[in-house]
Amino acid sequence: MSALPPPPPPQWVVALNSPMPRPTKAANSIPDPPGFSSSSTRGGKQVSLHSADKIVIRADRGTYQRQQQDKQPSAKRPEETDALKLKKAWEIAIAPSKQLPMQAIMMYMSGNSLQIFSIMMVLMLFKGPIQGLINTNAAFAKYETPSTRGRLLGVKAVYVLMQLLLLALGVWKVNGMGLLPTTRSDWLAWESERQPLERAYFAFK
Amino acid sequence: MRLQAALFVAACVSPAAAIYPDEVNQIDFHHALLGAPSFDSTFFLKPSSASNASLLYTISENSILGAINPRDGALVWRHNISRPAGGAGLLRGLDGNNAVVGAAGDYISSWGAQDGKLIWETQFDGGSVADIELLEMEDATAASGVRDTIALIAGKSFGTVRRFDGDSGAVKWEYIDDSGDVPFQVSSSPTEIFYISLQSGLLKSSKVKITSLDPVTGQQVRQHILNTEGDITGPESVLFVGANSASPLIAWTDKSQKTLKVNVIGTKRVSSVTIDNTSGEEIQEITVHAPHKLSSLPHFLVHYKTESGAWAEVYHVDLKSAVVSKAYHLPYLQGQSVIATSNIDANVYFTRISDLEAVVVSSASHGILGRWDMDAPSSDRSVAAVTEVVSKGKSVAVRSVILRKSGDWQLIRNGQVEWTRPESLIDAVAATWAEVEEQEELAHELEVEGHESLLGAYIHRVKRHARDLQHLPQWLQELPQRIISSILADEVTNLDSFGVSKPVIVATNSGRVYSLDTGRQGAVIWSTQAAEKPWDVKNIYARAGVVTIDSGDGSSVVVNASTGAIVSRSAQQGPKLQSIVNFEGHDGSSPVRLGLLGVQEDGSPVAPFDDITGFLVTTSADGRVLGWVESDNKTPVWEFVPPSGQKIVKATARPAHDPVASIGKVLGNRSVLYKYLNSNLVLVTAVNEKEHVAGFYLLDGVSGKVLHSISQAGVDPLQPIASVVSENWFAYSFFGDVVGDSSAKGYQLAVSELFESSIPNDRGPLDAAGNYSSLHRTGNSLPLPHVVSQSFMIAEPISHMAVTQTRQGITTRQLLCTLSSSNSIVAIPRPVLDPRRPVDRDPTSAEAEEGLFRYVPFLDFDGRWYLTHSRDVTGIKNVLSRPTLLESTSLILAYGGDVFGTRATPSQAFDVLGKSFSKLQLVLTVVALAIGVAFLAPITRKKQVNMLWRAT
Repeated sequence: MSALPPPPPPQWVVALNSPMPRPTKAANSIPDPPGFSSSSTRGGKQVSLHSADKIVIRADRGTYQRQQQDKQPSAKRPEETDALKLKKAWEIAIAPSKQLPMQAIMMYMSGNSLQIFSIMMVLMLFKGPIQGLINTNAAFAKYETPSTRGRLLGVKAVYVLMQLLLLALGVWKVNGMGLLPTTRSDWLAWESERQPLERAYFAFK
Repeated sequence: MRLQAALFVAACVSPAAAIYPDEVNQIDFHHALLGAPSFDSTFFLKPSSASNASLLYTISENSILGAINPRDGALVWRHNISRPAGGAGLLRGLDGNNAVVGAAGDYISSWGAQDGKLIWETQFDGGSVADIELLEMEDATAASGVRDTIALIAGKSFGTVRRFDGDSGAVKWEYIDDSGDVPFQVSSSPTEIFYISLQSGLLKSSKVKITSLDPVTGQQVRQHILNTEGDITGPESVLFVGANSASPLIAWTDKSQKTLKVNVIGTKRVSSVTIDNTSGEEIQEITVHAPHKLSSLPHFLVHYKTESGAWAEVYHVDLKSAVVSKAYHLPYLQGQSVIATSNIDANVYFTRISDLEAVVVSSASHGILGRWDMDAPSSDRSVAAVTEVVSKGKSVAVRSVILRKSGDWQLIRNGQVEWTRPESLIDAVAATWAEVEEQEELAHELEVEGHESLLGAYIHRVKRHARDLQHLPQWLQELPQRIISSILADEVTNLDSFGVSKPVIVATNSGRVYSLDTGRQGAVIWSTQAAEKPWDVKNIYARAGVVTIDSGDGSSVVVNASTGAIVSRSAQQGPKLQSIVNFEGHDGSSPVRLGLLGVQEDGSPVAPFDDITGFLVTTSADGRVLGWVESDNKTPVWEFVPPSGQKIVKATARPAHDPVASIGKVLGNRSVLYKYLNSNLVLVTAVNEKEHVAGFYLLDGVSGKVLHSISQAGVDPLQPIASVVSENWFAYSFFGDVVGDSSAKGYQLAVSELFESSIPNDRGPLDAAGNYSSLHRTGNSLPLPHVVSQSFMIAEPISHMAVTQTRQGITTRQLLCTLSSSNSIVAIPRPVLDPRRPVDRDPTSAEAEEGLFRYVPFLDFDGRWYLTHSRDVTGIKNVLSRPTLLESTSLILAYGGDVFGTRATPSQAFDVLGKSFSKLQLVLTVVALAIGVAFLAPITRKKQVNMLWRAT
């Protein structure tokens, strides 16, 4: 009595067990029908049971904001939305400058000697702004709408400036540690001895 | 930059590399030399009546007296008693006496035989010591074991015999002979002291006058003149005057060397013995050997030497009748042979040492008591021998010291050479390190490859490696031994392949050339007589496998560096040379000899040197410094004459190999003070002996322009003035007296450093120009340096200065100073002699970072700076330095008196594994780890598999 393979499960079982297909970006932007209240606005836990909507789980501020807006699309006008977006964008742009005093104090305190901790701190100091600069567009992607694009340029410029300020702090620190080849002695090895055009031999023995 | 500065500070502040006890005799060697021993003042002696072992005492031709341990040839003690006036040295000792008495010139001194401590010394005006004797007779009044000394002092027209007290050196009595005779010798018998003088007679012949003196009072007892019948013409024709034997003898021959005439001193009778010459050759040399001890038998031996061989005859003296009779003779032997006399109690033994054998006979009968075959005969002719015979029952054991013609001496015990002392190294005049040949072959092969096409070079390389494969089995055979020896060896890494133990070639004034193995405590590898008579070595130059020695008369000798064979010889030619210039270029790192040119005494080169582009700087005998161009050897292009009254005593230039690693000096604030680097610098020292002024002039060797000059007042011209130039600094030392308020009295060491500009980051008028010319007035003409100087008071005179050389000049330099008064060589680190040390204040933090510390006027030589550590290295005239393949290490060789070689690591041995590094420990750790891994790996794998099973 060889065991027969079990019959394939019915379609609905398969559908029940498999998670819902991830809605595409385009589908996401389709507003819900009037009167439909998505349970996903309350509590991430509940949502995760229903769907694997990772956007919500990320609890990204921007996304949350957007969904709140989505909740009452008719309550706010697009201008207000844009103003809010810009406000948030400004906050992000200014954020690095808040680190500046703390970093400056830390760098000042850590001294100019070449030690593993000061070196690591300096490396971290460089890593943050450089990453920030690379991800400039990504950081403002959520606020980027056709209407805000123009005004975001200024925000981005301020953001870049702030990151550059942090970088400048790092450069200042590195210079303080004597790692920048700014002095004459750093280039001494590349300077060559002046050669005489005439050569003298000596008979003094 | 900060790291570099930190390292620099660490290098400066950390203690200078000192020599550790376990490095002694590993990295350094020392030949403590006496000089060629004078054979009638060389003897075995028990240093005190209590001791059993005897020491070997000698005084050398350089008037250095010393004691040698006969066991290993090591020096026990030595003293230089040479006088400026000169005079041969004499040394006497007696068994049972605690002192040996040495004399040279107008100076007599008594030294403790055991420890070499001075007992007494005395010096007298006028005259020199002609002979000394120790009174052997037992004196009832003498309390201590020290015997009195009888000395004969030869003045211009008189002779004086004095008796010196053995303990205090006080004169007990004095006998003055003012008859105008030539004082010759003193001798003593148990009851009398004989003063022997030569009375000049008619026709250049002399008569021997013997004056007997009372030992206690010094009064003349009697006097008689021997009938010599015109045989004696001077002191050299008297063969022997018996010293202190029971029957003192005086012996001479007639002019035709047919008869030997012997007189027992004190008697008037002259015994004549016919010389029985059967060899058919003319007798060249007759020597008389008699025992020196009071109680010994009155026997003596006469040794006759001809051109090709020698024989000897033994005579007995009848004490009562003073009749001399022949006892037996030792047969004629071909080749060189020497005779030595020794005593055991009253018995007298003669040892005859020839090329082939050593034979011991008793003076009483011709029976041979002992015979030993000799090692390979030496090419160096033996001149004399001193032996010590020990009787063991019936047989005897003998140890003999053979003095060679070259001045070397060796101890032969029962026919075997125990040790050899290369004493003629004492007058070394030139030295260099030998260059090995193998590297040259490889370099040649590589050069061939470099010139061929790509494919051809490849094939050549493959062929060369295939050829090298023939060494593979041998290499594999040696491999285990090499591994074991590298683990167990005392030195962590065998540094021989880095050129640290190159043989040293030394040429002596007497014409001998030696090769010393620096890896084996300076043992002599070979020695050869390259010139028959003393030569004036001007230049010694080593290249692959051979050494060329050029002498002042224009002749030159090429010697194979590994065997000592003379490869070629060129005869004397041209005028007498004052110096020889060695045109040496640099092809990469290895020096290339471009040519050789003699310089005459007036400073002019013997020939134009058209094939060499360059200028020549010479000194002339009348004290000028001259500059020459290649095409003209008649008129110099420039001439430096010091201010009137000053005489040039020395001119020095930078060493031929003087690489500069950094062209600037980094200051604490990271700015750069650029060094004034000019490879043509000449430092001229001139002295005004009347006004006691010394001038130091820094010249440019191409144009003769004075770049800097210093005038020192109050300089003692008789004290040594040493100077040296290297890199961008020069140093000099002198004895200065007080001339003003700020000057000080004492030995001074001054250091001056040259910079391109006084302002940091400034390269002076030439700025970034890549080259400069000393000749062109416009454009890149030579600017003057900015000079910073500082001087220090030092405790003792510096007789010679040199600078350590390393391969790339990265290592800090050391100033090698020879201290002649404390017999040592001190290496002063350059950072200590930095003229920028802050004066009268503590250094700022920036200065401290640079390694500068506060200036102290008195420079105390740190004990760690002494390269010679506890050794007593005397008479050094020249110190050489040479780079090795290791940047940290510089080879140093000092010669002129003693020969001393060592390795210097001025910045410590940073590229060599230290002795604390244990290869064995490393290997054991790796093995233990491997075993651990091999053991644990299966266990872990099993565990992981089990875990996989359990999880599912």
